[in-house]
Amino acid sequence: MPRTTTLECPGCPPLRALTFDELGLIKVTEARSKQGGVPKMVERWGDPDASKCVLAASMDDRKFDPLLAVARKNGTIEVLNPLNGDLHFSVSNVSENGVQPVEDAVSGLHLFAKQNLELTSRSCTLLTCTMKGNASIRSYEVTKSAADVTSTGSSRTWNVCAGGDILCSKVDGSESYSLFGGKRVEMNVWDLENCAKIWTAKSPPKNSLGIFTPTWFTSATYLSKDDHRKFVAGTNSHEVRLYDISAQRRPVITVNFRETPIKAVAEDLDGYTIYIGNGSGDLASVDMRTGKLLGCFLGKCSGSIRSIARHPEFPVIASCGLDSYLRVWNVKTRELLSAVFLKQHLTNVLFDSNFADEETKVTLPAADQLHEEEHIAPGTPCEDDGETVPVKKKKSREKKRSKKEAKAESGNKEVSEENGGKKSKSKKSSKRLKRENLDDEL
Amino acid sequence: MGIKRKKSENEGGDEPKPVAVEIEKKKKGILPSMIKNKDKRAAVHAKLKQEKKLDKRKKVKARDAAEKRALELGEEPPARKIPKTIENTREEDETVCRPDDEELFVRNDADEFSAVLKRESNPKILITTCRFNSSRGPAFIEELLSVIPNAQYYKRGTYDLKKIIEYANKKEFTSLIVVHTNRREPDALLIIGLPNGPTAHFKLSKLVLRKDIKNHGNPTSHEPELVLNNFTTRLGHRIGRLIQSLFPQEPNFRGRRVVTFHNQRDFIFFRHHRYIFETKETKQPEVKGKKTKDSKADAITEAKPFARLQECGPRFTLKLISLQHGTFDPRGGEFEWVHKPEMDTSRRRFFL
Repeated sequence: MPRTTTLECPGCPPLRALTFDELGLIKVTEARSKQGGVPKMVERWGDPDASKCVLAASMDDRKFDPLLAVARKNGTIEVLNPLNGDLHFSVSNVSENGVQPVEDAVSGLHLFAKQNLELTSRSCTLLTCTMKGNASIRSYEVTKSAADVTSTGSSRTWNVCAGGDILCSKVDGSESYSLFGGKRVEMNVWDLENCAKIWTAKSPPKNSLGIFTPTWFTSATYLSKDDHRKFVAGTNSHEVRLYDISAQRRPVITVNFRETPIKAVAEDLDGYTIYIGNGSGDLASVDMRTGKLLGCFLGKCSGSIRSIARHPEFPVIASCGLDSYLRVWNVKTRELLSAVFLKQHLTNVLFDSNFADEETKVTLPAADQLHEEEHIAPGTPCEDDGETVPVKKKKSREKKRSKKEAKAESGNKEVSEENGGKKSKSKKSSKRLKRENLDDEL
Repeated sequence: MGIKRKKSENEGGDEPKPVAVEIEKKKKGILPSMIKNKDKRAAVHAKLKQEKKLDKRKKVKARDAAEKRALELGEEPPARKIPKTIENTREEDETVCRPDDEELFVRNDADEFSAVLKRESNPKILITTCRFNSSRGPAFIEELLSVIPNAQYYKRGTYDLKKIIEYANKKEFTSLIVVHTNRREPDALLIIGLPNGPTAHFKLSKLVLRKDIKNHGNPTSHEPELVLNNFTTRLGHRIGRLIQSLFPQEPNFRGRRVVTFHNQRDFIFFRHHRYIFETKETKQPEVKGKKTKDSKADAITEAKPFARLQECGPRFTLKLISLQHGTFDPRGGEFEWVHKPEMDTSRRRFFL
């Protein structure tokens, strides 16, 4: 008999992923434990139209009334309901400056999760950033009819860069700082409350041959949710750089990965692992404390990776890109859990974290168990690692910072780092508590 | 042997049969390759081969007889079995295009080639080479120029390919072909869609130029017809469209020229033919001598048209190495598809 390579799909935990593609379609893929964890495309929103190509997407997946913001190529930004795809409203980006959307496409979009106190609950705040560096924060009031949207509250617009193209932007966990970077634009950090630049990176020195590699950042992410000082950026010259605002303006660690530009960077929950995807479809995880490659994700992925998403609970990541497959991987074993063919060049992928809760009660305990096992088992050695094998660079950094910065802050930080393990445990327990509550509600 | 037999008898009469079966199995199971003596091995092998041949002949005879009998009785002859080939046992691929796929057509309308394929603009091709080319390279290009209408050859000089792409964009070329030669032998082909189309990198092999083809014809300057075979998957479809956009969309049927890109097991075979329709009237007596059946058919319809082909080179084979998103940019580019060794898990897995 011929050897066959039909994928043995080990099945993924129950999850729900949203993918966005070049024809402006939004596809929902769900895996349920009833079907053996085989993900399937269940819904498709929107009509195929090339001018509506999705450039950026951001989701606020709170329990009640989640929102999804999508920036399209024709300059409109749509806010949708990620549960059923209903359009709340759409706004055009053209109005203010009169710049054609084709020339100045949106490159970054963030939907703020925290509510603005002045505004009512039926509103949302959006940060948009265009290629030319026009960043703006606007709040929108959602009224009953989708037609009229009132822009309320503070609407701030500022320019992030003088020249060059902004290609990546990211808002940190507390949503008060934001990163921007791109082609010919060094990474810079902005305070969103005052719209002030607080930090700019310095390009690395010329190499031993005296050759300077031009600045070209393609992707960026914060290392952990609650620390806005450390972030990771991927460059076009296949480098992944770790910056520490509090330490120095040049990158702390630089990692080279293969030969094609880094196209996607995503952080893990543990605060030091980074997932990187590049232009020829290689996906790998890197430990940013040491800058060591932990391993590659092998799975016949042949097209450039455009986006990586980490599931907030399960040890699972999803990647998508130009080979039009949505792939789900196990983080620990780095094996491919499943691949779904979605027909178009995909630009973005997002996880809906509340999906498991919508499952029936029968599946819930199982999911919880899985979650517990995978969190506790690998958690312990990692903690040991952090304490017993302190990395040289990190130590020096720590010292430097403690000298430079205010004592209180650094002290706090160290404490928090030491208690990292405990903290995560407490977090988990709180999560579990929440879940139990939910069960009761159900 | 005697001892062995005794042993088996001594062991007990309860299981003599399985031993015999085992011995038989052993006799059949001895492969010629297990015999060390070359003469004996050759003899056994020849014998096996002869047996196989006779077996096969017997089978064919039986099948033919059955068919004949069925025909005489006026029954349906038993359906012939379809041999298993690598193509028809190909691994199932979910990316194969289906005609009822609405998204595929919208995608086609939106892709980089749609302007040419919808006849909004005429294809205009720039052909150039790598830095150093000689002997077979220029000869090949000369023939490519005769195959692809509206193509122009530009000397490469010392220009960067990116500069050439800029220039071609300015001059409104729709595609760019780069012939790469190594050791005076063309070995790679780069087809770049302009202005922002994909870049396909092919390995080129088995190149036979026109003058090396026996009884070759000389092509005319009419627009050729294009035959694209077996481009089934999404990737194949895209490559097919890329190739299609090189040729004018309205063939001149007077020219009776056909250009074929035939995909088989991920190899794309290029052939260039002239064809002509003739009637069989003049050759009737010859045919009669050969086969009685045909002559009967001919007697009924006297003028039976048939086509004759004449190959008019070149002849080559392409294999896709990578398909890049956007124009040529090997260091900073994004790939839509790259061949990786880990993808070769089976002989029956094809990508085009």
